[in-house]
Amino acid sequence: MTNTLHRQGISESLKNDYVIFAHTAKGITRDGSAPKLREFMRICLKYQPGNIGDGKQGNIHQDDIDIEKLIANQGDGAGAAAVFTDLDTLQKVVEELIRADLGISINISGLLDEVQACCRKAGIERHSAEHSLGFWGARDRLPEREILEFNTMCGHGMVSFNLIRKLIEHVKLRRLTPKKAAKIMAKCCECGVFNPIRAEMLLEKVKKGER
Amino acid sequence: MEIDKKKCVGCGNCHAVCTMGVIYVEEDGKSAVNQDECVECNTCYRVCRSEEYPPWFVRALRKVLSLFRLGYLAEVDVCPTGALTLPQLDWPRSVRAVFSDPTTVHPGTGVPGRGTDEIKTNDVTGRLREGDAGLVIEMGRPGTGAYFRDIEKVAMALARLKPHFERENPVTQLMVNPETGKIKDEVLNEKVLSAIIEIKTRLERIPEFLQALEGIQKEIDTLISVGVASRCLADGSLPHEAWVIKAGYKLSPNGKTNIGLGRPLFREG
Repeated sequence: MTNTLHRQGISESLKNDYVIFAHTAKGITRDGSAPKLREFMRICLKYQPGNIGDGKQGNIHQDDIDIEKLIANQGDGAGAAAVFTDLDTLQKVVEELIRADLGISINISGLLDEVQACCRKAGIERHSAEHSLGFWGARDRLPEREILEFNTMCGHGMVSFNLIRKLIEHVKLRRLTPKKAAKIMAKCCECGVFNPIRAEMLLEKVKKGER
Repeated sequence: MEIDKKKCVGCGNCHAVCTMGVIYVEEDGKSAVNQDECVECNTCYRVCRSEEYPPWFVRALRKVLSLFRLGYLAEVDVCPTGALTLPQLDWPRSVRAVFSDPTTVHPGTGVPGRGTDEIKTNDVTGRLREGDAGLVIEMGRPGTGAYFRDIEKVAMALARLKPHFERENPVTQLMVNPETGKIKDEVLNEKVLSAIIEIKTRLERIPEFLQALEGIQKEIDTLISVGVASRCLADGSLPHEAWVIKAGYKLSPNGKTNIGLGRPLFREG
């Protein structure tokens, strides 16, 4: 999930895309982090995230994943993540995390101004932040903009360009519903930072020939 | 990744799932992996669940269906016969999986895959302090992958500016000498899904580093995702913004925010 900051899309679409994640620091907050990560996940789960998981165990859109077991099996580790699609819910999650005072680092990827406003509303000032400066190098190897919008929703880039193209085609031919296609994409992203609800919205447009 | 030829029925499902697009059908009608280009991310293995059908059954079914001019169409995310096989990787090929498979925790950083902490734990580590800028240069992303020989070219070009290469970073840990950016010879021909060069410098040097990157990027046949970070000032503003704009670059509207809930909070000075 290192580079959830490179998510592509117009601001209107990015308004439905917030990733909140807990991250522990080796030698500082990692040892003994298991109960804190479990609590982080429980708080997120209460607000019905679009996705939730961690890199070690996977996410709720994968086959045979039981979220309660995933939380129970959470050990001392690097972190966990959840996805929300609106600021009001994100606000509630942040406020509850402040109250819970877990002591582990919490990060949010999304529109920076909106996240800053969310922090201020909750009575805190952001600590550090990171911008994307876009794609450099062999730009002629970039895929179509639509493909990038899906691909960059996985921080590790596990949703391949070819799979996205194939799923778009299946949706257009009505072999798959946007929901099912979005779920398959989400399955590829181990950490659970892929936003299947936003993907479904984008695929609905594809289905209607709007994109 | 390897494909068991005895099991493969050439359905092609794993071809699309492959993050590098390097699985193809051979003359015998069965799939194979271009081993030079495979980054061992194991996505095909994890995503294409095995239906565990006997290969003879799928082949027979296909033959029967073809008599009626019908095709066999497996679901997108299955391998009908479980032909995908995880190989035993030895050094230096094992470096591919360490960087490309997020379920693998890097032994040096304790973070899954090629990930690094960067600002994610800055509230407790003080990795970036007042006046510091962090640059994260992710090579091979989106979707192209990167060879360490290219990663080395960029690292060496930036090393001339005497940055601080972050120690708790998987690329830095492969450097023979962080002062030169030289990477171990044995891994130079290894390809990974992506790898992050992570450096710390002073805010006022951001333009200089971006200019250096501007120059070297033309020599690299892969994509690079670039990010810039800093610790916020007391009023919540970001000091790196002015330097990036001064250098002539555009900042994204979205990004990553550490909201500062880690404890004990790192105190400067």
